[in-house]
Amino acid sequence: MNPFPCRQTRREFVWDMGAGFAGLALTGLLSRDGFFERIGYAAETSTAVNPLLPKPSHSFGQAKSVIFLMMNGAPSQVDTFDHKPELERLAGQPLPEGKKFTNSGGRKIGFLTPSFRPFRPGGQSGLMISDFFENVRKHADKLAVIRSCHTDSHAHGSALVAMNTGKTFIGRPSLGSWAVYGLGTENESLPGYVVILDKRGGPISGQPNWSAGFMPSSFQGTLFRPVGDPILDLRGPEFLDRAAQRSQLDLLARLNHEHMAARPGGSDLASRINTYELAYRMQAEAPEAVDLSKESKATQDMYGIGRHPTDEFGRNCLVARRLVERGVRFVQLYSGGGHLEETWDAHKSIETNHGQHAGEVDLPIAGLLTDLERRGLLDETLVVWGGEFGRMPFSEGKGEPGRNHNPYGFSMWLAGGGAKGGTAYGETDDFGFEAVNDKVHLHDLHATILHLLGINHERLTYFHQGREERLTDVFGNVVHGVIA
Amino acid sequence: MTARTLVFLSLAIGLVAPVSLAAADAPERFSRDVAPIFVKRCLECHNERDAAGKLVLIDRSSLTAGGESGPAVIARNPDQSNLLTRVLAGEMPPPKRGHSQKLADAEIAVLRDWIATGANWPDGRKLDLYEATSEVRGGRDWWSLQPVTRPGIPSLNVPKRDSIDSPVDAFIQAKLSAARMQPAPVADRATLIKRVSFDLLGLPPTYEDVQEFVADTAPDAFERLVDRLLASPQFGERWGRYWLDIVRYADTCGYERDQEKPFAWKYRDWVVSAINADIPYDQFILEQLAGDELPDRSENSVIATGFLRLGTWNDEPNDPDEYKYERLEDMVHTTSTAFLGLTVKCARCHDHKFDPIPQTDYYRMAAAFWPGAIDPRGRELLGGPTKDELGYDVMGWTDIRQPPPLHLLRKGEPKHPLGVVDPGHLSLVPAMNRPLEPAPLGAKTTHRRRQLAEWIASPHNPLTPRVLANRYWMNHFGAGLVRSVDNFGYTGDNPTHPELLDWLASEITSHDRTSGWTSLKRFHRLLVTSATFRQSSLHPQQDQYVAHDAGNHLWWHAERRRLDSEPLRDRLLFVGGDLDTRMTGPGFKPTIQAEALEGLSRKEGAWKPSPAHEQRRRAVYMFSQRSLLPPLMTTFDFVDTTLPCVQRPVSTVAPQALALLNNGFAHERSTALALRIRREIPAANTGDNKLRERHIQRAWQVALSRNPTVSEIAAAKAHLETQAARFATPKSSHAVPEASLPTAGLTLHLSASTAVRVDREGRVEEWLDQSGQNHHATQPVADQRPLLVKNAINSQPILRLDGQRRFMHLAGQVVTSQSFAIFAVVTDQSTTNSHREIFSNWNGSAGNSGTSLFLGMTGVDTTRLCDDFSGVGHVTDRQKPFVLSGVNAANGVAIHQTGNELSARPQPIGPRNLKTNYVIGQQGNIDGEYWHGDIAELLVYDRELKDAERQAITRYLAKKYKLSQVREATPDRSPDFLALASLCHVLLNTNEFVYVD
Repeated sequence: MNPFPCRQTRREFVWDMGAGFAGLALTGLLSRDGFFERIGYAAETSTAVNPLLPKPSHSFGQAKSVIFLMMNGAPSQVDTFDHKPELERLAGQPLPEGKKFTNSGGRKIGFLTPSFRPFRPGGQSGLMISDFFENVRKHADKLAVIRSCHTDSHAHGSALVAMNTGKTFIGRPSLGSWAVYGLGTENESLPGYVVILDKRGGPISGQPNWSAGFMPSSFQGTLFRPVGDPILDLRGPEFLDRAAQRSQLDLLARLNHEHMAARPGGSDLASRINTYELAYRMQAEAPEAVDLSKESKATQDMYGIGRHPTDEFGRNCLVARRLVERGVRFVQLYSGGGHLEETWDAHKSIETNHGQHAGEVDLPIAGLLTDLERRGLLDETLVVWGGEFGRMPFSEGKGEPGRNHNPYGFSMWLAGGGAKGGTAYGETDDFGFEAVNDKVHLHDLHATILHLLGINHERLTYFHQGREERLTDVFGNVVHGVIA
Repeated sequence: MTARTLVFLSLAIGLVAPVSLAAADAPERFSRDVAPIFVKRCLECHNERDAAGKLVLIDRSSLTAGGESGPAVIARNPDQSNLLTRVLAGEMPPPKRGHSQKLADAEIAVLRDWIATGANWPDGRKLDLYEATSEVRGGRDWWSLQPVTRPGIPSLNVPKRDSIDSPVDAFIQAKLSAARMQPAPVADRATLIKRVSFDLLGLPPTYEDVQEFVADTAPDAFERLVDRLLASPQFGERWGRYWLDIVRYADTCGYERDQEKPFAWKYRDWVVSAINADIPYDQFILEQLAGDELPDRSENSVIATGFLRLGTWNDEPNDPDEYKYERLEDMVHTTSTAFLGLTVKCARCHDHKFDPIPQTDYYRMAAAFWPGAIDPRGRELLGGPTKDELGYDVMGWTDIRQPPPLHLLRKGEPKHPLGVVDPGHLSLVPAMNRPLEPAPLGAKTTHRRRQLAEWIASPHNPLTPRVLANRYWMNHFGAGLVRSVDNFGYTGDNPTHPELLDWLASEITSHDRTSGWTSLKRFHRLLVTSATFRQSSLHPQQDQYVAHDAGNHLWWHAERRRLDSEPLRDRLLFVGGDLDTRMTGPGFKPTIQAEALEGLSRKEGAWKPSPAHEQRRRAVYMFSQRSLLPPLMTTFDFVDTTLPCVQRPVSTVAPQALALLNNGFAHERSTALALRIRREIPAANTGDNKLRERHIQRAWQVALSRNPTVSEIAAAKAHLETQAARFATPKSSHAVPEASLPTAGLTLHLSASTAVRVDREGRVEEWLDQSGQNHHATQPVADQRPLLVKNAINSQPILRLDGQRRFMHLAGQVVTSQSFAIFAVVTDQSTTNSHREIFSNWNGSAGNSGTSLFLGMTGVDTTRLCDDFSGVGHVTDRQKPFVLSGVNAANGVAIHQTGNELSARPQPIGPRNLKTNYVIGQQGNIDGEYWHGDIAELLVYDRELKDAERQAITRYLAKKYKLSQVREATPDRSPDFLALASLCHVLLNTNEFVYVD
């Protein structure tokens, strides 16, 4: 049976014997399509490729993995990474009339309000970063801050889905799915695409944020808990210990082999038999991946583990490092979960809200960057930081300390994985309201992330219903200004 | 051979034809030789809309007008004609991705000759980009757009197989013979009945069904079986599910609030019943697209229009005015995918790149939905019409307005409206392209949808019957005759058997297609009684044939298939003997592991599983919530509900193995199967050894509908012995625990026999916590203090509360973990039926009215642990002392009375707000819900308790207070039973269980 019915014959993919999570590396077929821009590769892989084969080296893009730090709820750019001294001068004035925007949620429109915490230069580059991120600021020379991001929705639900899938409506494969679809996974015993949520809850819109859309469900993100059993169904009932389960698997294998012997050529049957051995291994290896007891006290301290308020996100960041070390392709960590103040959605007070959330993540992120660097992983690990949109430069009502949603201009940053450190790319206007120079739409961001992974976003296509679908649809330009 | 090579060859052959020149046949020659070159090689860019270089090449005047570089053609002077020089230089058509697109010499010769002989362009002849298929796109001559024919049945000179060959087989055999191949032999009878049962019902036959069928030697045994299955109501449940995939069925809207769509399930019931009732396909189409516009409109036909309401719906789109165009696209896309197998939605932004669907066609079709509830209105309407507009309180669609004109949008962008487009049909079948009629006088609706539906449902529509016949073929045989089942356009696949496809399409439209559609059940019968369906999935010459046709394009063997998620779940229930076959009604919510709920932004109350018996219904009745599809289902490729899906992918990945190995549902089913086997083969009068063998035999019969082989029996027996011995070792965790009181995690321990300080009246002023956590109980108000009564239960003292405002405060936050356990030794003397609590943290000022935690009773004898787990179970002899315990942890919640399970579910109660004050003997800080009865001892654990620990604590308390014997309600923990369950569990994991030959 063709496991990919919705595909042209030309693109019939080979399903691996006993593929693990999304165990598809389509390098052979894709290279024949000129997908990897490396001359001479096609000749090496004229036959179907085992997805477990080492991946080709790319002529561009040095990142092997991505850690996406998703600041759910949308941090304010003018209080974090987009320094706007003009706001000091204009404080208390309204945003000029000509600036059009949708007032999300019909909230009060107040007056221009400068950053709630001072900005200071960081590193040799002198990149301006506010005191909300005083620890990240020490890594300024690793960051490529894009200050001119813009997106297509002012509502959390749609904008989160857009940041993850490229479109504001649900149903499309997410960035991580595309990455795993394009590059396969390097460790079959772990999912290729992992999502770790904030304990307070998931993001608005839920599952579609890590959906595989029209791709097979094995490309979808796997929710991972950072303690104990990280994935579903790793343990059965108490009385079935590992030895008892081994007896079951031995009997199962025997019955399955007898069944298969009567059905020659049953590669589908053989694949399924292999998944049981793989599952057996995963039961041991997945918990090991989140077992932080193997990390030194010094390392744990660096991430702020064991201390309030950094413990949770610190653990998640350290788990993320352990995962990419073990070959996981795409890890997404959520900061903020549920709604409103439990996320970065600082309608009430930037100082209180961002004080809390930045306080939770600033040290762990700095720890992650330090740790990746000293282990030599930073070059091949792309760290992405940002929210689904930004926030308004004006307050929610006179003298109010909160800010409303702003899809017109916001900041995100990249570090490692070939990103150009110490860079500020693009500009918002003097108010930090909308991107005006070198605008970067989220399609451009996606194109750039794929590029850093060595994928040409125009050539990474999935044939669905008569159309070669892309993460970036018919849009997207690689932002070369942030690439080293 | 791909579509493109076919086209190329026919083109090449055409060009080889000798070019004979005579002025008289100039018009014919233009049409035959010249026009195809223009259409296929030039018009893509040089058409009215695009006009590259301002040059248009569609009629004589545009040719004459020329473009930016002057006239394209100078008659009788080819060498001075721009057109020819550019073509000769290879500049036109321009290279694509670096590849030259230069015309073939023969084509150039035609153009040269045409110019040399006067560049004659017949009067009034206007070329159209879509008139013919080209190198890069399909035209109106594309195969799927041609009228369905009635090909003759090939006559074959081969012996018939078992007298079962049908016309279907003649078409298949003809191609096989041509390839010198033979079909696989007929599958054995046991295989056949399993295959056809799963195919038609999505359920296995019982062992007894198989035996009966195998023994039935009548020549029509299979036909009778098929007739029986087609008449079963479970047929509609299986085949309805295929349709639900296509119409992106779900019970909720998706997005942030993911509201439930009230009565979506009525649409699902309509589908199941329409299929069971075998309503004609045209009626099936008409009711779903325009059930509100029909003369015999009824509640049922309006429910069918739910088809148009099933899409996702965002109550907070970025731009509500633009969002209506997204909704139009959803409706156009679903309609065209479901019925026409075309990707019409591609034409929203531009003319279709591959199929003859100009952009205007998209808007003509979209105009049918434009008069509905497309504009932003109140959120509570969920994007649909009101009850009054619809006429019924169901989920449906109707026109609610005289629609404003619909504009074509540049690049599909609402901000860039171009000209108005009138409603109409797709232009790709010119013979059927009539303008729409205005609605009849007095009609409440525009009748646009009805006319669209009639156009689709016309037996003359070349796509509708082909797409349907192909889809049914795919569902029965595992792949379509057209492999790309959802795409009959240029980028799709050609049919493996075009004549067979047409013959089948003509068969469901009653041959001459004048009298409409024929019975679909008859059509199913035609397919499944064919020899092609009945052949084995194995072929004696498999190795040789695979080399020739690995993709089984010639249908030389049957496809072995993995069960979809629903038949797999249904089968797991079926073999336990407790599949609930009730039909219709609201969907049930399956139990989902707590871990999987973490993805929700609103966790509290987000998912309340249905009672266990509801969960045993067939999977087609499972509630489908877009933000949370059950992992057990999606792991096995349950469909994504946002877009129409005509064929599901089939993946084989390790998480599937993990799910069937470890998921609670899989173990519940293993236990159910083991219980069933033990029930059916009781232990009476049989030696241990014999009993095991009989259990093994029955396990195979029930799980796999067959008897085990000798070697399987041996292996199973060894397994039973090994596992039984293993489970019998005392260190195993299942051994009955001794009475004990673990101290780890003990956060509160109050015992009336120690540390009680009473006032002069004998009322308890202070009750000291023995846990070491200092959560002491106090009551400063004298007349609210409980009384201390000595020698009350087994000579032990108790605190007596009379329901008259007596209670005590506890110091500090007693519970800090969402996993906890509470034990109380109590009696209940209440004379009211209202709530009454032993232990509680309800505290209005803490805002935890819905997230509080308590242990108490309500009604006459039911118990409660929180609002979400209240009124459950029945306490027996409540006025006599008993242990009431409530345990909650990630793996579920349970309440026990002295060890007897009163109520449990494998999902914990939602997160509690724990940072509050705690009390004993009442609800909280409101004046009410006081306990009326005795409390002797109270223990609270601030962590997850293992089942064995719970039992040990219960035993300790039961012993201390001499409470009636603890009866454990767990089914059976004996080593033999667990070993049998282990064997059953293995059988449910076998390949034989999940694949159908």
